[in-house]
Amino acid sequence: MSERPDYLPEHIREKLFHDPRVAEQDLKVDVKERRVLLGGNVSSLQLRHTITEVAQELLPGYEIVNETTVVPATEPGDEEPVI
Amino acid sequence: MIRIAAVGDLHYGAGSQGILKPGLEHLPDRADLLLLAGDLTRRGNPEEIQVLADELRGLPVPIVAVLGNHDYHCGREAEVRRALEGAGVRVLEGEGVTLNINGVRVGIAGTKGFGGGFRGAHGSDFGEPEMKAFVGHTKMLSDRLERALTRLDGVDLRIALLHYSPIEGTLEGERLEIYPFLGSYLMAEAVDSAGADLVVHGHAHHGTEKGRTPAGIPVRNVAQPLIRHAYSVYTLNGRREAQPAAAGGIS
Repeated sequence: MSERPDYLPEHIREKLFHDPRVAEQDLKVDVKERRVLLGGNVSSLQLRHTITEVAQELLPGYEIVNETTVVPATEPGDEEPVI
Repeated sequence: MIRIAAVGDLHYGAGSQGILKPGLEHLPDRADLLLLAGDLTRRGNPEEIQVLADELRGLPVPIVAVLGNHDYHCGREAEVRRALEGAGVRVLEGEGVTLNINGVRVGIAGTKGFGGGFRGAHGSDFGEPEMKAFVGHTKMLSDRLERALTRLDGVDLRIALLHYSPIEGTLEGERLEIYPFLGSYLMAEAVDSAGADLVVHGHAHHGTEKGRTPAGIPVRNVAQPLIRHAYSVYTLNGRREAQPAAAGGIS
């Protein structure tokens, strides 16, 4: 994997998307020096933890800061009259 | 009045068990029908869809689904479809179904749809074979959608169920650069030509919930990361007075 900072975030994003344990397209990845910032929405706390683990495997020696948000799937509020 | 629950982009995978089920508990009291707008799995793996199928099985409302791009990733979309059908979900691809809900005939035509972009900036099936295949796929599915909608003869309400977006309006919030991968105006044209009362789609997690086709047909983006609930509920007034007896039959 290229270590060039210009391309590294996109390489990480692509690898996370293609990793069967993650397969999440919505992630935002930013790399600043030896720190990886992850953002975006995920569907579960377990997936959030998995993303941290996989990112750490991809970039050992980097600090992984996972700021992804677990999206709630609670019952909706009011219905919307459409027609 | 028909109450339609809809959600897309559930992206079920390892660890998803139980995510949706609590949110579905009161769905039968709140909706007459559940629409699933594709991307039901992360990678289109049959094991992933089985988890969702088990959570949907036994819901006492008709469930109609289309698949999304994620559901095709492993090349096992036929197995994904069968798993859903095994749980009583009707899966549409270029097809329609008519449901009799409390005496109101609700027709639903569904397709995954595809990308290409929007008016003034749509790709053309010109040049390399890859480009022809890309745009050709969208054209084919849009044609099928129009035919499926047109064939919903004698229905009181007509709904188009898609994964990709037919309009730009429900993409607002997404990066402009990826619009061509999020939908195509060809599907809006199909809907406007055939006529519909509502269009439901997913795919655009960072988009906008509400929009309209150029002919004014309401469009709702129900991508779960956008609506941030288990589903949204939309009410539509059927053109016939509701009758009490028949409920939920699929014809």
